[in-house]
Amino acid sequence: MSGAADGRGGGDRLPGLESRLFDIPEDKFIEVVRLLERVRDHPEVRQTFAAIRPRLVQVRPNRRPTLKRVLCMPFEDVLESFSGLDVPVGRIERRVIDPVWRLVTECGDRALIDRLDRQVQETAPGNLNALRNIGRRLWPMAAQAIQGAVGGVGEPDTGGQPQWRVLQGDEEMRRQLLDVAAFLEIGLTVEALKDALAPKPLAALDDLHVDAIEQAAQAVARQSAGLVYHLLLVAASRMANPADLLTVLNDLDFGKARREQPAIFAQLSGLVVTNLEERSARLESKDGGKDWGEGGGTGHSAGPGGAAAFAPEEAIAIAERLVAGIDTTSAAMDVLADPAYRERLDAVKVAVRTMVSGTVLDTAPAGILTAVPAPAANGRPAPVDEDAQAAAEDHARALRRCEGLAGALGLREPLKDTLVSMEIGLMARAQALLADYSKAAGDPDDAETAEMNLFYALRLLELVAGPAKADRLRTAIMAATGEFAEE
Amino acid sequence: MLKGAIEYAPSTFEERGAAVAFTTPLLSQTRVRCGERSKLEVLIPSLSQGMGIYVVAWKSVPDMVSMTMHDRYLHDLIVKEEACSPYEIRRATLRAARRGLAGPKAAQAARRALDEDDEQGTLTHYLLILSILKAVGLESPEMLKAGIDTDEGQRLTRQLMTRAAESLRMDATLLYARLADIASVTAPVGLAHSPRPGRLTRGLNDLKGFRDGMIDWARDVPSDAAPVAEFCAEVAQHTIAIGEKVLGDFHRRIDAIGPLMRDWDDAFIRVRTQAARMAWLLDGWSHITGAWEVAQAEDRQQQAATVNDLFRILPLLPRRESSRDFVEDSKQVKMAHRRSVRMLEDWRTGQMDIDAIRRIEAVKARAP
Repeated sequence: MSGAADGRGGGDRLPGLESRLFDIPEDKFIEVVRLLERVRDHPEVRQTFAAIRPRLVQVRPNRRPTLKRVLCMPFEDVLESFSGLDVPVGRIERRVIDPVWRLVTECGDRALIDRLDRQVQETAPGNLNALRNIGRRLWPMAAQAIQGAVGGVGEPDTGGQPQWRVLQGDEEMRRQLLDVAAFLEIGLTVEALKDALAPKPLAALDDLHVDAIEQAAQAVARQSAGLVYHLLLVAASRMANPADLLTVLNDLDFGKARREQPAIFAQLSGLVVTNLEERSARLESKDGGKDWGEGGGTGHSAGPGGAAAFAPEEAIAIAERLVAGIDTTSAAMDVLADPAYRERLDAVKVAVRTMVSGTVLDTAPAGILTAVPAPAANGRPAPVDEDAQAAAEDHARALRRCEGLAGALGLREPLKDTLVSMEIGLMARAQALLADYSKAAGDPDDAETAEMNLFYALRLLELVAGPAKADRLRTAIMAATGEFAEE
Repeated sequence: MLKGAIEYAPSTFEERGAAVAFTTPLLSQTRVRCGERSKLEVLIPSLSQGMGIYVVAWKSVPDMVSMTMHDRYLHDLIVKEEACSPYEIRRATLRAARRGLAGPKAAQAARRALDEDDEQGTLTHYLLILSILKAVGLESPEMLKAGIDTDEGQRLTRQLMTRAAESLRMDATLLYARLADIASVTAPVGLAHSPRPGRLTRGLNDLKGFRDGMIDWARDVPSDAAPVAEFCAEVAQHTIAIGEKVLGDFHRRIDAIGPLMRDWDDAFIRVRTQAARMAWLLDGWSHITGAWEVAQAEDRQQQAATVNDLFRILPLLPRRESSRDFVEDSKQVKMAHRRSVRMLEDWRTGQMDIDAIRRIEAVKARAP
């Protein structure tokens, strides 16, 4: 990893390595990650880790355990994701991790930290029980250290304390540090709940999940009623649609926190709405989400010149998640009868509708129709462009998936109009190719190319209008090519 | 048209039929066979979650089920070619996919597969020539050096093969004809010493990976689908055990190429039967192993759904091929299976599930 002696060679080599790390097989990738971890303190290696984070998130190799990583375990589910799209409810920003670590190491029990650090180094990657045992001693101490350091902060005359060097007067940072302290305080219960709410993300809550949340809430309530809210944040973050938690919340018995239950529900509901607003606000970000932090987006998100923020299918997937969240939240919050929430949810819906219209409907002519080539003037068929075809098929699928959202977003008519216009446009282009087919039929290569163009147009028509309507074109193509003529 | 649900317990591979890689979810991996009076029939399992198998006249399928454009084309092609062996069905499937009707990626994969078939045929032919020459003690470094694709190499090969024919006491034309027959039978399986294993040998290796994957998944992911995954692993293991035996026997016979050439009538029939048996044994598995590979990038819920989907199309061994009654065993698993299985598209309304079609096409792009 050291590269050339002058240091420049190393700098040249690692970026090359980064790109290769996206292509190599998974087992090799894990092997390389293990090797890099041995020298992870090297700045270039840290940079490499940042660059390959999307694949790390995807492959999730058992990373070499560190005490810092153990410290983060109780709040890892609420850490903002690297993809930048799905914001966890009540999220903790990643920029908080280093200050948390510094506070704990500066204000915490140094001897205990050193002892636990040695134990972590002897622990095999993936030995979760051993790491939790270490956490059992680390988390309460760390929670106390953070609360002691920033819990009472607010006076400028404490500026000489380490906490102020860390916070630099950042009130949002302080709030998040206190949230981290709360998660650490209930660390063991959180870890047990994570096992019960696995695998993440949970598509739906079943009875066993609900029982586990209730028992964990009761256990935390015995510790402190105020901490139940934080436990529920973890539960919400482990769900595909965090708003689903709201639908079961009022049926849970919080034990000693029973009195606080309505307040917790209101607090969590508000946070779910804020979370939906935050996610919809990111949709409107014209620069493709570069403000989401490192590694944001999936590669489709930033169009040239910041035009289309998402690929059509990606846009539909995001819209589906948000609409599901809006519907569930809306139903669950009827009990609060607060018109302000309704308005805020409607505003989220408008943002989603705008995104879907702009990314899927308005761009359909350019995204779908142009994949079918016009007949060339020289009589020879246009070459087949399979990349353009693949992109057009993705767009057509997104259009069809839009049918499931159109009602909720008030897009039924615009979608219907778009589908009809695509059907007419594709049919017209296919007919033009068909009319031109006889010119290519004499040359086997030209005939094959012309037939491929026709079959690809047929496929787009099938995706947009369904097999029944496409079948008429298929019959016409087969009649023109004479492939199954004897029938 | 529809004979009604029947108990599905085929005795032979031919009765079980060959799997067709349709993209319509309801028809995916349904089996086609030659029925009475050589009429093609299709066997549709678990129609609307039923327990039986429906036997439908092949020509009636488009009237019963709303099919994708790819499947209409493939259906017509199978009718035209009266295809019903795994080899014929596979060739028809590749030709349909090559047209682009299952998407550009499946078209590219089909083109690659057809090219590979040709290359494998040439390679096998070449290796068999070397085997024959070696068997009669005519190994020629000059020929190897010149290479079979050069004029000089071909002249040397012709010369040596004429001498080999003399040594085997047969006409050179006959030797070439028999060589072509063996090569066409052997290419899909591959020779034991071939630098590139044949398609069916690779399929057997993929099946081992699938078996291990199912065992690991059933252990690591406790869910309703775990017993289903265990059953899939058992069926795969049983198929592997038979496949390895057939493969070993096949390679031994091909390796003894001298006796094969001399005792042609009986020996070639045996070799051809074994190659066909390999093809039947692995028929339908490439879609399953490919689907499981695709599912590796998905979450566990989707993987559980895939396990259940694969169970529905599992190529259970016919009664005459195995001492174990897998049909009966599968009924036991079905109770767990029915609780978690996803509904297929509604075959009565003809609504297409574009996500399900896309998943099938993704497999086709990977394992054509």
